[in-house]
Amino acid sequence: MTRCIQCTRCVRFASEVAGVQDLGMLGRGSGEEIGTYVEKLMTSELSGNVIDICPVGALTSKPFAFKARNWELKGTETIDVTDAVGSNIRIDSRGLEVMRIIPRLNEDINEEWISDKTRFCYDGLKRQRLNDPMIRGPDGRFKSVSWRDALAIVAEVALQVKPEEIVGVAGRLSDAESMIALKDFLNRMGSNNVWCEGNGVRPNADLRSGYLLNSSISGLEKADVFLLVGTQPRIEAPMVNARIHKTVRANHAEVGYIGPPTDFNYNCKNLGTGPQTLLEIAEGRHPFCSALLAAKNPAIIVGAGLFERKDKDSILSVVNSIAKLGNVVRPDWNGLNFLLLHAAQAASLDLGLVPESDNSIESAKFLYLMGADDVELDELPSDAFVVYQGHHGDRSVYRANVILPASAFSEKEGTYENTEGCSQQTLPAVPTVGDARDDWKIIRALSEVAGVCLPYDNLSGIRSRISVVAPNLLRVDEREPALIHTDLKPDCQQKLSTEPFSSAVDNFYMTDSITRASKIMAQCSASLLSKK
Amino acid sequence: MAFVVRSARVPPNSATFEEARQRTLEFFRKACRSIPTIMQIHNLEDVVTISQLRSTISSEIRKQAHITNPKVIDMLLFKGFEELNNILEQAKQRHHLIGQYVIGREGLVQDHRTKDQGISDFLKNFYSSNYF
Repeated sequence: MTRCIQCTRCVRFASEVAGVQDLGMLGRGSGEEIGTYVEKLMTSELSGNVIDICPVGALTSKPFAFKARNWELKGTETIDVTDAVGSNIRIDSRGLEVMRIIPRLNEDINEEWISDKTRFCYDGLKRQRLNDPMIRGPDGRFKSVSWRDALAIVAEVALQVKPEEIVGVAGRLSDAESMIALKDFLNRMGSNNVWCEGNGVRPNADLRSGYLLNSSISGLEKADVFLLVGTQPRIEAPMVNARIHKTVRANHAEVGYIGPPTDFNYNCKNLGTGPQTLLEIAEGRHPFCSALLAAKNPAIIVGAGLFERKDKDSILSVVNSIAKLGNVVRPDWNGLNFLLLHAAQAASLDLGLVPESDNSIESAKFLYLMGADDVELDELPSDAFVVYQGHHGDRSVYRANVILPASAFSEKEGTYENTEGCSQQTLPAVPTVGDARDDWKIIRALSEVAGVCLPYDNLSGIRSRISVVAPNLLRVDEREPALIHTDLKPDCQQKLSTEPFSSAVDNFYMTDSITRASKIMAQCSASLLSKK
Repeated sequence: MAFVVRSARVPPNSATFEEARQRTLEFFRKACRSIPTIMQIHNLEDVVTISQLRSTISSEIRKQAHITNPKVIDMLLFKGFEELNNILEQAKQRHHLIGQYVIGREGLVQDHRTKDQGISDFLKNFYSSNYF
């Protein structure tokens, strides 16, 4: 027997918020029931939200249903880190285990929805975890050691290499506290080759308007024309996409898209695939220009996937000239937006994690990976010593010489800044696994063993250090807009390549170490992505 | 409790330091002679050797080497006989012996006191737990 009372909230959600017409009412009269037409799945990245809006519990969360009772759960109000939006979530835990993740209301960021990745990735927190400090022996196998020995070895190697051969990379899920500790530690060792994954070479960390979503997520609702440059918001940031969808529904905003073919859940004109189209718009030769010029509040959204391109500077200067042409940046409206991909990116640029040299990986002898799993390690010299500090045995572990287990976002207190510049804090919901430690504590301890002791011993100490570098990170739950919008950069002489834009995210369901370890996410990508 | 009463015979006090020393040597001999029995009744052959136990006993005695007051030595000897008796009566069990005399008083946790000299409280706490 079904509990469904045919209220059709889920049907309305699917068509009005998720923008897919998959759910509907079948049969009439006493035979009426909710269903997907003809054995199809509901292929939306927001499908999990129908669980929350179902008033009777006819739609339940498959991984959570009947696993725990509500009154056994402890709720912790925290932040999601699987994308750069920083959706507000509540982690419900029972004892040591995360039982479910549900959204919290925040009208400015995620409204009351979260993406399926956020909702169902939590089983990845229980799999493939790193428990103990480990050192790779001469036979290539890892051996568990004590923290004392692991830190002593790392410090010894770090002191033997030349300062410029020390390189540090912060991962996608790093919090601001650990990133400032990593930067301070490397600076004290004499190296300044520290950056965060996904920011590309020579990131623009000087002007905050150059990497933030300047209109703010809720501000996108005011826009009436969107130009998406090399970004696929539906898979890069589903909550931002939901906002665009809402705007398109409410204002009939026009959306133009430049990039590889992809799915949209609203009307969208595919203008082209590469920088050539961008150039045409900038020169006023493209039909989309008329829409851009007629718009009251035009919004350009540039994907952070372009930061990795070699001709990034010239693309950004073309985008800037489009912004000037369409009068996108005005005192009352800033429509030039950058959509970041990872939770750590905005904070890392605020803290100035910018590498000194462009190709430091090739000359590295000591590489410190703080949860960085997507760095290209092919060019790393074979005699380089790699330290992997992180919570999951993911890609980089294959190359690591020493593993230092750290805590995941559900286990620590950390500051994250989302793509619109709003800093938020996570709270620990469950205790750490095994002998793991918080990220910043590991670096603080290592710095002392290496003889370059960092001057902070607790979170308030490290936060007062952050307040010197980026005070906006400490104003929690407050959006700090970028102040200077004028383009101060010199004209770029770089040549624009004709290579079309590529998609920044291959698999929406598996983007970081937690989601890659998740069984549910693997099932989702197998059953949902192959259909496309 | 019969054996406790039987063993709790207080001998007359030693008159001089020399007499106390003699009694200590007698105690050591008695303890050494009972080692094979202890090994057998507590089944200790696979964890410890006779000579190890003997050196443990001597080191326990040498710990008090600085004491010259015959009254104090008599008291310590009384406690030593009591302990030996407890072991022979099996009032102390196998794990007591292993914990106290085989592994040592520090137990299984290694002694890092010498290594930890000069490190900050943060690092000491860090080595023991994530929560401090």
